[in-house]
Amino acid sequence: MSGKLYLKNQMLVILVNLTGMLALALFLLASGNQFQTVMLIFIVWLIIITTYLSVVYYVRKRYLNRLLDMAEQLEERYLIPEIMTIPEKADEQVFYQIMKMAEKSMLEKIGAIQNERKEYKEYIEQWIHEVKTPITAMKLLCENNRSPFTREILAELENINHYTEQALYYARSEHAEKDYSVRETDLCDVVHSAIADNKYLLRQSNMTITIDDIENRVYTDDKWVRFILNQIIGNAIKYRTEQPVLYFSTIKTNDRVVLSISDNGIGIPQSDLPRIFEKGFTGRNGRTGKNSTGMGLYLCKRLCDKLGIGLTALSENKGTTIALSFQMNDFVIRVQG
Amino acid sequence: MRSLRCEEGYQGGVFIKEKILIVEDDFTIQAQLKTFLSGNGYEVFAITDFSQIIQQVKMFVPHLVILDIKLPGSNGFEICSEIRTFSDIPIVFVTSSNTDMDELNSIMLGGDAFITKPYNTAILLAKIAALLKRAYPSRQVESCTWNGVTLHPASGVIEYREQKAELTKNEMKILYYLFKNAGKICSRNDIVDFLWDNQLYVDDNALSVNVTRIRDKLNKIGLTDFIKTKHRQGYTL
Repeated sequence: MSGKLYLKNQMLVILVNLTGMLALALFLLASGNQFQTVMLIFIVWLIIITTYLSVVYYVRKRYLNRLLDMAEQLEERYLIPEIMTIPEKADEQVFYQIMKMAEKSMLEKIGAIQNERKEYKEYIEQWIHEVKTPITAMKLLCENNRSPFTREILAELENINHYTEQALYYARSEHAEKDYSVRETDLCDVVHSAIADNKYLLRQSNMTITIDDIENRVYTDDKWVRFILNQIIGNAIKYRTEQPVLYFSTIKTNDRVVLSISDNGIGIPQSDLPRIFEKGFTGRNGRTGKNSTGMGLYLCKRLCDKLGIGLTALSENKGTTIALSFQMNDFVIRVQG
Repeated sequence: MRSLRCEEGYQGGVFIKEKILIVEDDFTIQAQLKTFLSGNGYEVFAITDFSQIIQQVKMFVPHLVILDIKLPGSNGFEICSEIRTFSDIPIVFVTSSNTDMDELNSIMLGGDAFITKPYNTAILLAKIAALLKRAYPSRQVESCTWNGVTLHPASGVIEYREQKAELTKNEMKILYYLFKNAGKICSRNDIVDFLWDNQLYVDDNALSVNVTRIRDKLNKIGLTDFIKTKHRQGYTL
């Protein structure tokens, strides 16, 4: 509360008092009182009025500052009427009433939007599950009638599947609820299934795949890791060069298992590296013809953060290495012996 | 006389194909899955009348059930718990929704595997084979014979007139595929696909190298021209 503004607001009180003082002075002097007596009454009056104004000012200031602090500490500020004490003054109570009304309409709006979002998310998830039925049917149709033509369709179907999965995980990652379950997972199995998910795309791009000894067990959600690997393999295919290679390996240290996926593709410019996990970031590679959405790695990072997996990218002129670092805490190590 | 004998699922000397029941309401998937599994040596029956699933299960007596979760008028979970009241056969849940709740439910109700659509056919086949092997262990005697040459996939050995040669994993799988399709021409692409399905990621060049090595090994045990090259088409036994 600013003091200047407070004084301005109290101008009426001061004016009324001054007029009163003037009227009294005239009356007292006219009825033959001494000038000193009038001055004394004036000084006492002035002291009383100044003390009143300053005491009110400090009390109000303390009260309002506390309210301000409360509002600032509150995460959802529109809920302030719920925690503040109901004011006693008539005009303040009106403002309080208005705040209550604003709060209510805000809550209603938030509720409606949350509901809308939930419905939208559910619809997206349902749509994705529905579109998977025709994808499965097409896949089986192609597998049962193999020819160079159906091989191409199978590769495109793998692309479609990637995009639907991306949408599904995006819809899920936007919500706070836990949609994963951590259990003992064989990294080898996950890598093989991720390769199987990209079989026709990999074959089409003549990718040479090498898998180093990766017999490692980690505690994580296999579906999520498979999705992350799919995105990484998809990138390796998209940004490949002549005679592409893809190399999987793991390093095990005391408290972590690191799965590295290296390719010999076009790599990522040093200037782009720090930003590749940002939402919608496409970088130089994305701008030069390859249709990049800037979603894949962003989602990978988000999912990794939720699962507690460290995700890093390394690229020096040519080729990219993505490393997934799985934490092995004391408990896990003890269980494994 | 040419003859192929792949000894799978022998029981008391009588050859029995393993029976798989498909409970899936999408007719294209149903038909294509039936074709696919039949092509892989299973006897397949698909349910078309979804009002009497249980009766049909009891009638057909399958060795394994492939069960969709979303079904008209009922759901896979109910069917699963009903089947579990009278049978222990392996049940594979197939669904397009991959939420943890569904997976947990399927395990709680006695499902043996949970596969999400669009499934990888190789993974589906591997799961089915593994479940059947676990449920019916005595059935697994597998060896293939063609023109007097016998392949033992389990030990990775090929045998001809008492002479044996050891094979590497790649060579084994190539020969296995050729034996399975003996008499037919196998395209290079199909062979590589099959190897990839078995987690052996070889390319076209490596296939040629492997076939040359197999021919060398076969020559040493007195087999010449066992694998024939069909120009621009592939290989055949």
